[in-house]
Amino acid sequence: MKKPMIFSQFFKNNGAVMGSALIGLVAFWLIFLIILPQLSMLDYSFRYNLPPAEVGGPKDVYTLSNYEHLIYGSDSSHQTYNTVDLKVFMRTILAAMLVTIFNIFLCYPLAYFLGQSKGSGFVRLLVVLLIIPYWINEILRAFALRIIFGDSGLLNEALMFLHLTSAPIDFIRQDIALYAGLGYAYILLMLFPMYNVIESLDRNQIEAARDMGASWLHIHRRIVIPYAKPGIVSGATMVFMLSAGALAAPQILGGPSSLWFTQLVYQWFNDSLNWQQGAAYAIVLLVSTIVIVLTVMRVFKVNMGDIGK
Amino acid sequence: MSSANLIRVALGAYLLIFFSYLLGPLVVMSLTAFNSASFPAVSPWACFSYEWFEVLFNDKHIRDGIYYSVVIGIGTVILSVSMGLAASIVLTQVWPKLRSTYYTMIIAPILIPGVVLGISTLVFWDRVGAFLGVSDGSLLHGLFHNGIFLTILGQSTFIASYTMLVFVARLQRFDTDLTEAALDLGATHTQAFRKVLLPFMRPAIASASVLAFLASFENYNTTTFTILEYKTLTTVLAQKVRLGINPSISSLAFIIIVLTIFAALAFEAANRNKDRKLAAAQGRGVTQKSGILPSFLTGNPAAVVLVLLAFMVIVMVGTAQRYSPEACKIAVREAKQIEIQKRIDALKETRRQKEDAKAAQQPSNAAPATPNNSSAFGNVFAPGNLSGDAPEQKVDEPEPQSGTGAFGNVFAPDNLSSD
Repeated sequence: MKKPMIFSQFFKNNGAVMGSALIGLVAFWLIFLIILPQLSMLDYSFRYNLPPAEVGGPKDVYTLSNYEHLIYGSDSSHQTYNTVDLKVFMRTILAAMLVTIFNIFLCYPLAYFLGQSKGSGFVRLLVVLLIIPYWINEILRAFALRIIFGDSGLLNEALMFLHLTSAPIDFIRQDIALYAGLGYAYILLMLFPMYNVIESLDRNQIEAARDMGASWLHIHRRIVIPYAKPGIVSGATMVFMLSAGALAAPQILGGPSSLWFTQLVYQWFNDSLNWQQGAAYAIVLLVSTIVIVLTVMRVFKVNMGDIGK
Repeated sequence: MSSANLIRVALGAYLLIFFSYLLGPLVVMSLTAFNSASFPAVSPWACFSYEWFEVLFNDKHIRDGIYYSVVIGIGTVILSVSMGLAASIVLTQVWPKLRSTYYTMIIAPILIPGVVLGISTLVFWDRVGAFLGVSDGSLLHGLFHNGIFLTILGQSTFIASYTMLVFVARLQRFDTDLTEAALDLGATHTQAFRKVLLPFMRPAIASASVLAFLASFENYNTTTFTILEYKTLTTVLAQKVRLGINPSISSLAFIIIVLTIFAALAFEAANRNKDRKLAAAQGRGVTQKSGILPSFLTGNPAAVVLVLLAFMVIVMVGTAQRYSPEACKIAVREAKQIEIQKRIDALKETRRQKEDAKAAQQPSNAAPATPNNSSAFGNVFAPGNLSGDAPEQKVDEPEPQSGTGAFGNVFAPDNLSSD
């Protein structure tokens, strides 16, 4: 894509040494860490799982069988469709969406409050308090929730103490712990983009609207939310992608009978040692999440450039 | 005014809920680190104890995990900071039409699920090895199947995007005229980079390095695929948590939380100090109070809290050397045994009553010709219970061995293993 003319200009701007160092680093990143690994995974997902001796032999041909397995299941099963895996997939996508929506509603008021009340000591304290859980390991955060949601965990003890329930509720098996854990894990990735955008909103706009008699709801619907849209979509994208691709929280907080799609991928890789099948599942996850995100961004008219702000 | 008050109350309640959701689990987890019970819990509280810290410090897997995490973290910082810096500089110069495509490509790794990144790295370098025809046991084959090498590459793929964002934010404020001037004055491009751009970028490089190290240190999704035979702290922790939870993990979490609070407070204190100095330099600063407190503490609540926290940690470490929960533990154990005994007695009592009731019903209910029936029940529940018709005697009797055994198995092993 890059034409030689641009290259020569680039080297003129940066000098030969610096220019090639920059290009070299960026090219290494783009080609060897981003593009080729994804392509090789794609290639891998269309191949049979062969013993090492047969790799490159006549049997090493492209196939759709790995993808067919996700939809139709193995030949030995009696069902028409691979209902188990498809259910897991649907559940993962839907639950990730729900977690995202839940996070939007939970974070918006705080982002607005923090963004619009500038500089006071209390707000600074809140921001410091927000940053602390941000740097605690994902595993440890899931572990913390497990202590709370466990059979003899704090929540059950409290509920029983208050006589709201007589027997412990199995939060883990009912996946309540999992959803709470996913929401908990990525909530700050929703909050900070929203906060950053709302912080830059001119207070005068709100004041003006209020002076003209706009209601509280109206101010948010017509001024704050449209302005904060890039932040909200950016946060939602991050939370959705990370929840759909989460592995630690489902492994720790998920019930024994219910799986997350990434756990299926993990099983194909580490338990069944079928990398090709695992790669196919990973591709399905990647493509479907990206399609969903791009659709949402198209619907809400947000650019890729807004992500990560 | 009542509506304003209502809003204030609602806001307060909301803040309370939000922050308890955010911080509550961490507080609970920290507390469980000090409970001597073998299962992490705050209630029932057994004894205040430091023993889980000792368990943690003696855990070889965790120490190895920390070592490898640090090694990988340093590698990732070096690779991702240099790639991120290069990418951000290229972004400022790239041909405008290519700009958005380029930006999408270098921002994409943030959005790719970590699991996918891990798999693709693993598959790709395996294929590179196969493509180059490296044989088993050769140096390159070892490198391409080395967990540390693969993890650094896998993590850098997306961490470089984070660092790139930090650099882009800083570069927007860079005056390119400075570089032009240096070049006009005869500096080479390399010199201009080293003497002009790099010093300007230094704060961004520092924060990007910290960010990259922390992101690498706590990464799980990518690492779990690429780490192969090695173990980082997170993969060790994940394995431990999945196999069965125990409070030594809480004690590790407590240490990490305290360190994080220290870092956050130190950062905040330094910031405030800088703000204050800036204000003083501009003549707006308050006149220095000559108090007992050193000057950096005045008007700086974060610094005060920092000093208090440091004091608390010192006190804790000091008491940990002397404090012994043994006496308390024995008391708890005895209390627990009494509790178990009580439960057994209560169960027995209810069972006896049931049997009495059944025995009373039996003659009226069933055919009178089956006297064996009652003994069948008796065999199942408590042998010999029906033979003696003196219930009072039963209570005073020493526990029949079979009963204790049966119920003891239900209650005891979990509870007593903590001792």
